[in-house]
Parts: sequence; C-alpha cells; structure tokens
Amino acid sequence: MRRTIGFLLAGVVGGISSGMFGIGGGIVIVPIFGLLLAFDQHKAQGTSLVALIPPTGLLAVMAYAKAGYVSWFTGALLIPGLFLGGILGAKLAKRIEPRQMRRVFAVLLFLLGAWQTFGVWRH
Amino acid sequence: MDLSTLLILFIGISAGVLVGLLGIGGGVVLVPAMVHLLHMDQHAAQGTSLFVLLPPIGLGAFLEYRRRGNVDLRAGILCATGMLMGGYLGGLIAVPMPSTRLTRCFGVLLMVSAGLLWRTTSKLTPPAPPLISPEGQA
Repeated sequence: MRRTIGFLLAGVVGGISSGMFGIGGGIVIVPIFGLLLAFDQHKAQGTSLVALIPPTGLLAVMAYAKAGYVSWFTGALLIPGLFLGGILGAKLAKRIEPRQMRRVFAVLLFLLGAWQTFGVWRH
Repeated sequence: MDLSTLLILFIGISAGVLVGLLGIGGGVVLVPAMVHLLHMDQHAAQGTSLFVLLPPIGLGAFLEYRRRGNVDLRAGILCATGMLMGGYLGGLIAVPMPSTRLTRCFGVLLMVSAGLLWRTTSKLTPPAPPLISPEGQA
C-alpha cells in the first residue's frame, strides 16, 4: 500500500514538472524510481517509459491551449522530425560511445540553465 | 516552403537525434530551442512542447525494455495516473506566471536535469551496486 502511494506520488511530482515546464517528465521520474523506490536503473527507465506512453500531458496541453499558449503549426512540424531524428540518434548511439556525449551535453545544459536563471539580459 | 518552416523541421530532427542518442526527454531540448531559435515566448514554447510530446514517442523503446523484463507495469500505470493529474496542476501553476519568472524556473530545472544526466553517466558502465529492492528482482 505504501509503495502504491509512492508510485502515484512519483507520477504527481513528475506531472507537475511536466505541466509547469513543458517537458516529458522522465528526467524527474527515473531518479525518483531509482533513488526513492529502490528500482535499478534499467527498471526505472523501462517503467518510466510506461508512464510516458499514454498522453499524460493531455490535461496540461488543454490548460495551455485555453490560454492561447500552444503553437499548433510549429508543433505539428516538429513531430515528424523528432520521430525520424530519434531513430537516427538511436542508430548513432550504437556506433559511438554515448557516455562522453552525455557529459558534454550535461555541461551545456547546465550552462544554458544558469544563463536562463541568472541572466539579466532578458527583455 | 519558407525559411522558418525549414528551421522548425531542422530543430525537430536535431532534438530527435539527441533524444535517441542520449536517452533524454525531448522537452528539455525543445523548449530552449523554441525560445532561443524561434524567438517564441516561454509559455508558448512550453505549451507547444507538451503538444509535441503527446504521441507515444517512447513506444518502441518501451517494447525493447519489456522484452528484457525491465518494466514494472503496475508501477508505471499508477505513475501515469498521477502524471495526468500532476500535469494539469503544473499547467495551472505555470500559465498565470510572468514569462520572465517562468524562464528562470526553467533554468533551474535545466541545471537539475544536467546534474541528473551527469549522474547517469557514472552509473552506465560499472553496473550500479544492487539496491535492496523490497520486491526483489523478478
């Protein structure tokens, strides 16, 4: 029972970050499963994928759409590229060592985040 | 086909490559790309990203994990139920927020994501020490 509540709560926390920031939520759910619910890394990732298959962001999209914050045209154009690019990336990952790339990307992500958080240049 | 259409298609493919290559979610890449390259407002970028993530992009990956028995279906379904509600809640919090503040919060999220991503790199090669799982590994 306690674990059931834990799974539900993990979803709520992942959902809030998803709705607040327009992201998928996996980046939040995987560590919760791994660190708090004692799943190993693979099982945490596989289980988080289950949660990402149904359109869980539907209510969030509706909340944004109601306020006029969805660009349907841009979104529709992004979907096929994202899909094809994903296949391409998965193929590339088999050929090159993705660990270093993750590190490089993590550093870039951190710098971008710091820029957005502390930047006084905005508007 | 005008230039911005091409740019959008290009962003989609680039973000997709990163998703497949690094195993990260698309939103973390898509939102900054839309804000900085397409000069979209933070709210609009987030709403559009959520729309893009609606189709089951991870279905193929899920099947692969399932084949190897690395899926806890019940936990995943419970988690999805929570996400549906949490997502709506998050939308309600973000929509009335001023764009500049939302951008800053997003920046914090990026830094946290970066930390988590870095963590997975140290976990990939040497298998993680087995955690004591209350359910045991089936």
